[in-house]
Parts: sequence; C-alpha cells; structure tokens
Amino acid sequence: MQIAVIGTGYVGLVTGTCFAESGNKVICYDVDESKIQALENGNIPIYEPGLSELVLRNASAGRLRFSTDMAESVKDAEIVFIAVGTPQADDGSADLSYLFAAVENMASHLTEDAIVVTKSTVPVGTNAKIFAKLRDWTGRDCNVASNPEFLKEGAAINDFMFPDRVVVGVRQSEVGDVLRRLYSTFLRTDKPFLVMSPESAEMTKYVANAMLATKISFINEMANVCGCVGADINDVRKGIGHDQRIGFAFLFPGVGYGGSCFPKDVRAMMRMAEHQNVDPQILRAVDEVNLRQKTILLSSIEKHFNGQLAGKRVAIWGLAFKPRTDDVREAPSLNLIDALKERDVHISVHDPVAMENVQQLYGDDLEYALSPQDALDHADALVIMTEWGEFRHPDLSEMAQRMASPVVFDGRNLYEAAQMKKAGFVYYSIGRPKVMPD
Amino acid sequence: MRISVIGTGYVGLVTGACLADSGHSVCCVDIDEAKIAKLNDGIIPIYEPGLEDLVERNTRENRLSFSSNVTEAIESGAILFIAVGTPPGPDGAADLSHVFNVVRTISATATSPKIIVTKSTVPIGTGEKIREILDTNGIRHEVVSNPEFLKEGAAISDFTNPDRIVIGTNSAQAMKTMKRLYQPIVDAAPSRRASVIEMDIASAEMTKYAANAMLATRISFMNELARLCGKVGADVKLVQNGIGLDPRIGQRFLNPGIGYGGSCFPKDVQAMIATGREHDSPFQILEAVHAVNERQKSVLVELITSYYGDDLSNHTFAVWGLAFKPNTDDMREAPSIVIIEALLSHGARIVAFDPVAQANAESIWGDRISYTNLNKDALKGADALLVLTEWKEFRVPNLARMKDELGAAVVFDGRNIYDPDVMRKAGFTYFSIGRPPVLADTDA
Ligand SMILES: NC(=O)c1ccc[n+]([C@@H]2O[C@H](COP(=O)([O-])OP(=O)(O)OC[C@H]3O[C@@H](n4cnc5c(N)ncnc54)[C@H](O)[C@@H]3O)[C@@H](O)[C@H]2O)c1
Ligand SMILES: NC(=O)c1ccc[n+]([C@@H]2O[C@H](COP(=O)([O-])OP(=O)(O)OC[C@H]3O[C@@H](n4cnc5c(N)ncnc54)[C@H](O)[C@@H]3O)[C@@H](O)[C@H]2O)c1
Repeated sequence: MQIAVIGTGYVGLVTGTCFAESGNKVICYDVDESKIQALENGNIPIYEPGLSELVLRNASAGRLRFSTDMAESVKDAEIVFIAVGTPQADDGSADLSYLFAAVENMASHLTEDAIVVTKSTVPVGTNAKIFAKLRDWTGRDCNVASNPEFLKEGAAINDFMFPDRVVVGVRQSEVGDVLRRLYSTFLRTDKPFLVMSPESAEMTKYVANAMLATKISFINEMANVCGCVGADINDVRKGIGHDQRIGFAFLFPGVGYGGSCFPKDVRAMMRMAEHQNVDPQILRAVDEVNLRQKTILLSSIEKHFNGQLAGKRVAIWGLAFKPRTDDVREAPSLNLIDALKERDVHISVHDPVAMENVQQLYGDDLEYALSPQDALDHADALVIMTEWGEFRHPDLSEMAQRMASPVVFDGRNLYEAAQMKKAGFVYYSIGRPKVMPD
Repeated sequence: MRISVIGTGYVGLVTGACLADSGHSVCCVDIDEAKIAKLNDGIIPIYEPGLEDLVERNTRENRLSFSSNVTEAIESGAILFIAVGTPPGPDGAADLSHVFNVVRTISATATSPKIIVTKSTVPIGTGEKIREILDTNGIRHEVVSNPEFLKEGAAISDFTNPDRIVIGTNSAQAMKTMKRLYQPIVDAAPSRRASVIEMDIASAEMTKYAANAMLATRISFMNELARLCGKVGADVKLVQNGIGLDPRIGQRFLNPGIGYGGSCFPKDVQAMIATGREHDSPFQILEAVHAVNERQKSVLVELITSYYGDDLSNHTFAVWGLAFKPNTDDMREAPSIVIIEALLSHGARIVAFDPVAQANAESIWGDRISYTNLNKDALKGADALLVLTEWKEFRVPNLARMKDELGAAVVFDGRNIYDPDVMRKAGFTYFSIGRPPVLADTDA
C-alpha cells in the first residue's frame, strides 16, 4: 500500500519505518526541515535501539522516503497516518493545534478514498472533529479512523512489530478491513485486532496509560507507608504480584513516572472528565502522588545531611525518565537537579545516552561525567534516578573509594540491603528500611 | 501437627477444614456456642461450595473437631491460628479487640510454648503488639503472620490451590514449622504454582492490605472511567478489553459495576487509609478509591430517577441478585443495600431474588421488600428489572419470556452482563454501566 505519515517524530518515524519494512511504500512528512534533511542523510534524530538500521535499509530499498512537501506526500497515499505531537496545553488538556494544522494542510491533497488515521494520542471526540473539518475543507465525507499507538520508547520496534493488540476505531467496517490487512503482517501470533468506535478507541489509549500510571502511583504510596511502618516494599511486592489478578508488571516503586506520555495523558484525561462534569478523583490523586514522588529522595537527603546541603557534592546516575531512551521530558531527575541547585549543591551526572539533552537545559551548571564511576569522585552522596542495566552491578569497593562518603540514595531499588551493608554504605532506597554499614 | 483454630467464621472454618484435609489434626473453636453446636450436628453456618463435604469427611475421619472451650483448645494445640473478626471501628481503623482478647487468653492460660499465627487481617504493627502481650508471661511463644487471601465462593480452591502463601516471622524455627505445615498443600496444589513467600511480620501484614487495596483500586479506577465513557459515548467494555490485553495491565478485575462490597475490600481499604493518616503519610489514592466506591453505589439509582423522576411510589422493581458478589450469601456492605434503601426512600416497591442470600436479606429488610423463589416470578408485573449481582444463572435469560412477564421491557444492569445489541434487538430499553443506553423504539 501507499502510505503517508504526517509528523516524523518518535511515533511517526517508527510507524513509517515498520510499515516500509513490511513492504509498503511510505513517505514520512514533517514540517521540521532540518529533521527531514537529517533523515535523508541517514541521521536518526532519536535514540531507539534497532531503528537506525531499519531506516537505512528501507530507505535504500526505496520503500521509505522523507519529505517536507505535503502535496507530494499525500497525493497518492491510500492511508494517511497523523502522528504529530499533541503536547500538554497550559490548562493540562491536549493541545490539538499541530494536529488540526496538519489536517488543514493535507485536506486539498487527499484522494477521494484516502483513509485518514489518527495515531497521535487525542481526546475523545477528536475523530468526529477531524471528520467535520475535512468535510468543510474538502466538501466530501472522508474516511477518518482512529488507531492509537501503544509502543514504548526503548522497545518501540519490537512493540510495533509484535503488538499485544491493535486497536482501531472506525465508522465503516470496510475501513477496518483495510487496516486489518495493513496490520496483518504484524499479527501473525494471533494477537487480537480490535475494531470499535473511534470514541472507544480514543478512550482506550488514555485509559491504558492512566491505569499504568495508577499502578505506579499506587505502589509508590504503598512504599512510602512501608517506609513509615518498617515493612519492606520488595517483600510486599512479591506477596501481591503472585496474585494472578494483580501480577508483577508495573509495580516497581521508584521516584515517579515521567516521559512524554504518562504525565500529559493523565492530565488530559482529567480535563476531559472535568469537561463532562465527572470528578476525576483517582486520576487527580495519581498525578499529585507522582509530583510528590519525584522529590521523595530530597527529604531523605536533607535529613541525612541535617539540612546542610550547600557546598556538598552529589553525583546522579541516570537522567532519562526511564532506561533505553534519551528522553528527559518530565523526567524526575530534572526536579531533583532543580531542587539541589537551589540548595547550592555541586552536581555531577552520568547517563549513557541522555546527557546531551540535559546539557541543553542546564549547560555548564552541571558536571557531565563520561562514566558512572567518574561521576563519583569526592561525592558526598550518590543518587540513582534511572535503572539503566549498567548501574545494577557496579564495583562497590571502587565506588566507596572514590566517594568522599559512601552514601547512596537509590530511587530505583537496584541493590540488596545485605550487599550494601557489607560494602560499607549508608543506603537509602524506596519503601525499604535504611541500611547502615557493619 | 496439632492445630487449633480460634474463631470459626468464614476464614477459620475453611482454614481448619483444609488443613485437616491435608492430614493435620485440627480443632476449631469459637465463643459462639450456637455455631459450634450446629457444626457438631453437621450444619455449616455459611454458604460455600464444597465446604460441607470437606467438613463432613474430615470430622468423620477424626481429623477435625469443634469446640467452644477456648482454653482447652489452646492447651492442646501446638500451632494456634487466630481467625477472629477484625471489623472496622468507628474511624475506619480495624477493631482488634477480638484478636487481643484471644492473645491475652493464650498468654494467661498456655503452659507450653506455642506458635501463634495471625490469619485475621490486622494492621501493620499488630504482630509487634501481640508479641508485647505475650512477653508479659514467662513462656517464649513465637509469633507469625499468615494473611489469608481466599475469596468467598471459591474459598476451598483458593486455600488448596493458592497463588502464594505469605508467611511473616522473625523466628527461623517457626518459619520451618509453618513451611512443613503447608508442604502438603504446596505439593498437592493442581496449579504447581503455589509457593511459600517468606518475609518479616510487618511486610506480611502489609501484603494483605496491599493486595486488597490494589484490587479495590482497579475496580474504582474502572468505575471512574465508566462514568466518563458513559458521557463521551465510548463503550467501557471495549475499552476494558483494549487495555486488558496489555500484559502490564491484565484482564482481571476490570469490570465496572455498582461498587465493591463484602467483608474485606471496604474495611481493608479504610484500615489502610487510617494507617496512612496515623503515620502522616496520607494515602491519597486509596482515599479516592474509597470515595469513588461510595459514589458508585448510587449510580444506578441516578439512572433510575432520571428515567422515571424522583417519585417512584407507583413503581415496582424486580431485583436480581442481593449478595455483594456471586457464589456467596454474604450481604455485608453489599451495594444492593444502599441501592434498595434509596429506592425504598423514593417510595418504590421491591421484589427481590437471590439464589442463596435471601435469608440474610430478610434479616436486613424483613417485610419492607418482598422475595420470590423462582427468578421468573420476580419479574411479574414489575416496571423494570435491576441486576445487582452477576450470578451465572442471570447471564442467559429467555429474553422473550422476560419481556412478556415484565410490565415494561426495561432493564437496569449494574453488572454489564448483557450485550446492548442483543437487548436492542429484543426490544428492551437497557441501561448499563459506562455504555451508551439502549432506548427501545416505543412504537415497536
Ligand atoms: N513517544 C511515545 O512513546 C508515544 C507512544 C504512543 C503515542 N504517542 C503519541 O504520539 C504522538 C506523537 O508523539 P511523538 O513522541 O512521536 O512526538 P514528537 O514530538 O517526537 O514528534 C512530533 C512530530 O510532529 C511534527 N509536526 C508538528 N506539527 C506538524 C505538522 N503540522 N505537520 C507535520 N508534522 C508536524 C514535529 O515536527 C515532530 O517531528 C503524540 O500524540 C503522543 O502522545 C507517543
Ligand atoms: N471472609 C473473607 O473472605 C476473608 C478473607 C481473607 C481474610 N479475612 C479476614 O479473616 C478474619 C475473619 O474473617 P471472617 O470473615 O472469617 O469473620 P467471621 O465474622 O465470619 O468470623 C469470626 C468468628 O470469630 C469468632 N470469635 C470472635 N471472638 C472470639 C474469641 N475471643 N474467641 C473465639 N472466637 C471468637 C466469632 O464468633 C466468629 O465466629 C478477618 O480479619 C477478615 O478480615 C476474611
């Protein structure tokens, strides 16, 4: 099939590349000329394992092209995916201005039976609005479908090619059939292809993210109470995870969720509910708990140093909002950096891939270390903010040696208490008892 | 091993019967002499599939006995399970007076060291307090927390085929004994998944609350979303399936409805909230979960009054299902109570049917509502049917007959057990939770 993808960011590029990989002819369009230029030169603007190789292979096979020309991109397309950003507006709702700008631009170039498919995460009712606007701009009833994307950054290719399920929202079953055919190569493992109304499909995306965010805030609050009563959240987690109705996934306590999706989707959903006079009590609690959780370690740090933080040296391992991505949008590390800077702490940081993005925000205010161990020299404390694999088995004796004092605040519960005790660390983690050295 | 189970309610009786069935010698005691007398006559005071057989067989084979002599049972048992009730006190915190009464009796009367196992759901720190009470006596008893995860209606299979067995203790010796006690159950569990998870007492106590709190959170989360779905024209059932296929979420416990009830979720959630407040660590999410649940119990009543108006004095409603969930006769905190009370206060007449909970319902409403035995009679002349519990036998009714018997073909389904398309085709007006209503064509 001939496909256009409008908006070549994270989701757009992965979508376009994967559809090219399954044999379609794809043009990825973006308004950002430098991004398109970079892609044409084979430079991938985001960090995503496996993506670069796939882009290059499909581009050289002529199945994947990049363009800043809307007419060229859309004029032969049977399916037009919209994958532009839908960031958070000032009031927390989703900002749909990019989306409607893209729809307006494409309108005059769409063929009669092109199917316009929204991949971006959009509030319920957006599909109906796109349909109405396209009718105004084209004078005909266009096919507009909804196809929310569930990929995870860091595992995007795999998530796209081996989805747990594909959700499409359509008004005519024939449109569903076309999309089913398009996705059939990825659905070999009899994973379901769910056809529903656009409203239900739009809702599904928000509900999925909201539920995952709820699980995280739930276990974080549980961990905080564990800390107060002397229970160990890790044992509790095992105790409940074995329950078939609960499971282990997404019940890891930490320093809060971040990224470009959970925070904004939870808030967009709250606004959606408020507009309908439904009080989003649980979502509001989830959002507030998360905000608090992002600086939960700060209070332990302050307590440990008796409030005397000025002039201290703190090392931070991990800046990205989660491992295997360079994305620092809404990352808890930023909240911690801000709080520590305010208290005149000297900060050295290390992240395997996200340092550049942080440097753009903080410039020379921070020290950027090339390895985890290099960040530790003379540090009064180490704070772990992202659970990168390479932080899991460090050389503890080298760590203790390099640091001015062996104190670790672990926001991701990477280490065992006994191990830290033996290695002579003072060790704080989330929802587990504090460890003092032997 | 000689075991005494103190408190022979739901949990105590199931625990005693199942441990006896795995070969141990068990005495179940209770201060309620009438209950013990019944059990000695082979009458099971609760409804639980399979329990009667199990009790009968194990008493016949002399592994299970019943008594109302607590001190004797304390003396004869090496392992003492405490399974008395821990109802919510006025502030929501668990009332531990029964538990402490038992512990004080043990402390005062036991003449040899015991392993004292708390099966009742108790707040974090209770094990510590039990320890303190026991330490006033010269004998060194061991304290264990072994929270129970059984579900009413599936209690036997939950006990004998558990997802996990949580044991919390600081004593290596007691841990060893407890593992030996459960070994026959672990070995025989059909799933082959059962395992003992060892931890400290506080974490074990916390685990029980955390599990119920997570499940309650899933329910209230879906109920909150169902309200939104209803308003924006999305179908919560499709959304539910769409998210449940994500293995990080899972399909279980995502059914929206009229709120959770029963003797555990409401009280455990409130107890956890109380614990958080006590430690200046307010549990915001659970406070929201609880508030949403209270609110959810009135959703169906709102649908009804917005359809008929506030005055329901000329209306008769047939109600299917009273128990807080299927396969149990338990009416504690059942949403049906709030719903029926509200409808009565609007002047409505109620004709109710539940396969097993009717006796318990009668003790709540007496003759303020009427009861029928066959569920088809429950519909005669009623203005609408309300489904409040998702008993299996309600799931595939004969719709044509249902329509004939009802005075008007209107159904308010609090459990989303029917397919809106099917109801539309059958000519019903159909309201459910978080799905667009079906309005029958009145000319049809
Ligand atoms: N990133 C994820 O993990 C993820 C996962 C699922 C869904 N989503 C959703 O997908 C959408 C896109 O997210 P993303 O992370 O790819 O965003 P992004 O910021 O990486 O990419 C958006 C792209 O759209 C381009 N753009 C903006 N206006 C345009 C226009 N008028 N015409 C053409 N291009 C335009 C931008 O230049 C940018 O390249 C959002 O709605 C997001 O919520 C993201
Ligand atoms: N019912 C469930 O589904 C379930 C599941 C898991 C855990 N639990 C927990 O187990 C505990 C018991 O619950 P239940 O539903 O079995 O309660 P229940 O009310 O059915 O039984 C409690 C029994 O304890 C007896 N009792 C009270 N004081 C006593 C004393 N001093 N000595 C001896 N017996 C005494 C009562 O007479 C009653 O028979 C509670 O903490 C509950 O939270 C219940």
